[in-house]
Amino acid sequence: MIYDKPVFKPGGDRYMLIEFGDELNLALNFTAHGLGDAISQSGLKAVIESAPCFASLLLHYEPDLISFADLRREMMALIDTLGSSAEIELPSRLFYFPTCYLDPWTKACVEDYSAKITPKKWDAEYVAEINGLSGPDQLVRVHSGTEYWVASLGFWPGLPFLMPLDPRSRLTAPKYNPPRTWTPQGTVGMGGAASAIYPVATPGGYQIFARIPIPIWDPERRFPEFEHSICLFKPGDRIKFVPCSVEEFNQTEAQVAAGTYVYNVVGYQKFSVRQYSDWLATVDASKRF
Amino acid sequence: MGERIETQVPGNIWKVLVKPGDAVKAGDTLFIMEVMKTEVPHDAGVDGTVSEVRIAEGEEGVEAGILAIVIT
Amino acid sequence: MIDVVVPGLETSVQDFPGRIGFWNQGFPPSGPFDSWSFRLANLLVGNPAGAAGLECQYVGPTLKFTQAAVIAVTGADMTATLDGTPVPLWQSVAVKADQVLKMGPAKSATRAYIAIAGGIDTVPWLGSRSTFHKAGVGGLAGSALKKGSQIPVAYATGTPGRSVKPQCRPAFSSTKQWQIEVVPGPDDDWIDAAGQARFLDSDWKLSGKSDRTGFRLDGPQWTFTSKAYDKLPENGSEPSNIIDHGYPLGAINLAGQTPIILVSDGPSMGGFINPYTVPSAAFWKLGQSRPGDVYRFKAVSVDEAQALRRALDALCSENSLA
Repeated sequence: MIYDKPVFKPGGDRYMLIEFGDELNLALNFTAHGLGDAISQSGLKAVIESAPCFASLLLHYEPDLISFADLRREMMALIDTLGSSAEIELPSRLFYFPTCYLDPWTKACVEDYSAKITPKKWDAEYVAEINGLSGPDQLVRVHSGTEYWVASLGFWPGLPFLMPLDPRSRLTAPKYNPPRTWTPQGTVGMGGAASAIYPVATPGGYQIFARIPIPIWDPERRFPEFEHSICLFKPGDRIKFVPCSVEEFNQTEAQVAAGTYVYNVVGYQKFSVRQYSDWLATVDASKRF
Repeated sequence: MGERIETQVPGNIWKVLVKPGDAVKAGDTLFIMEVMKTEVPHDAGVDGTVSEVRIAEGEEGVEAGILAIVIT
Repeated sequence: MIDVVVPGLETSVQDFPGRIGFWNQGFPPSGPFDSWSFRLANLLVGNPAGAAGLECQYVGPTLKFTQAAVIAVTGADMTATLDGTPVPLWQSVAVKADQVLKMGPAKSATRAYIAIAGGIDTVPWLGSRSTFHKAGVGGLAGSALKKGSQIPVAYATGTPGRSVKPQCRPAFSSTKQWQIEVVPGPDDDWIDAAGQARFLDSDWKLSGKSDRTGFRLDGPQWTFTSKAYDKLPENGSEPSNIIDHGYPLGAINLAGQTPIILVSDGPSMGGFINPYTVPSAAFWKLGQSRPGDVYRFKAVSVDEAQALRRALDALCSENSLA
């Protein structure tokens, strides 16, 4: 359900959670992003920072500068000026990543889990099967066939949660039970309806079937894209996974190690919810690549 | 003479590395506790023989300051 | 420089209020768990209250001061000694070049703080010197202290012999029981009336499976309203599952039936509900409690929680020093 009016809930003495609905619907995420963007533009000092998530926005505010009640009033007024989420336009960078699908490293990780924790079908076969695809090859076409929207970052520093923008690439997958104790750095995985990239080798529960050689986390800030942060992404970025071979993966990894890799980022686009919605209406979501 | 080794931190007994009768030197690790998912080794301060081991591997929720191992 | 002879159990550089402004990239604030003791340590040595200092946990470090300095040790009593002579807590103390500060296990309470006049001078990461040790962020090259580490200090003059008035120091529980304030929400409407009463009327034991990312609690079952059951499948199948949302710092996160208080290095978002949130003014109690301690939660309003924080901030000032 998309709420008629957003719901405002307190989080202790200095947080406010604004909920726009209770379903997984990109429109709700666009609203969250749009409000976050509008707050930054408004110069409202009382809001220290905001963090959008799938259907909500978390605010961290300064109680010395504003009360919860006054902040709610300000937010309701700001939401009214936004108009419908359909009119939101946001600057949005687009990253192209060479991606080794059905790679040997995630396969070895799944085999290790099968041997040590509990037997498991290879994730690529499993996800293809439960989504009615013909096999791992079609999984690659479908998963890589869309741009992914960075809906939020979190759970672990630098970890992006990605939603497919093209409905023909919608897939679902349950999470591991119990979770894995490790995941190769740069793994691309899927849980629920979201995809994610593991910035470092953490435990995890998503189905895994691809890997990128590009750092999305750089504490040494070796590349210019990390000028302002050690984490590559911001909410509202988009990602295109471009299938590549193991050879290209290895070559790119060598470039990264040598510091010569050049990030492929498109920085001249605005994401228009109106144009996206109009386009969505023309797409037959039942078709698969 | 001898030494009474107490647990330094509240936590779980992760590994017990000695048994009664073992000869130990100052600096040998006698047992390792786990707190905040981190290992806290407890070492002998003197040379001697382990006369008592009062803790067991896998024990959980052990308080700090509990007598664990006696060296004589 | 300060030489780290013995690192202690996860001793780290922290500053207050920590790493702020990167929540939307998944960076927690980190910072000192007991900011009351931390800020007073800084004020004792003449630093701004938020300057970078050391947080010691359970077992403190052994440090050699290569240069003369003025320091203060506050928080839990780790029987600090300087070249073998006991160092009084809650006081600024002069240290001569080559003296060795030794901190042992905390006799009670959990965390001690060391401030040095001038402040620790590591390279800030994303605007803060605070350390998130598990994620390799901040501090000394992304890590807690290691044996052989060298801690840079921007030495400044300080006045030895200043002390914190006894009535201005935090009083750590000696009964292993703590009353912890909570503000209902964000998701208290997912817990039914019996469940809310049960939460507030029960003893909650701090589990040993706790660290700076989360404090796990052992206690009774939670029971839910229809919101937890009448929801779309994408929320998840457990009653406490919800579509991933942002987590306030201090949220009591209900992972299945296990409440985990999300603390200084905790996750910024996830798919479980947060029926209650511990406000910032109560964090020092969490930071000084140890596994086996028992919490009783007391519901307070947002206004009351904010008043508590203002009162705490007033205590972390020059007025508290003699």
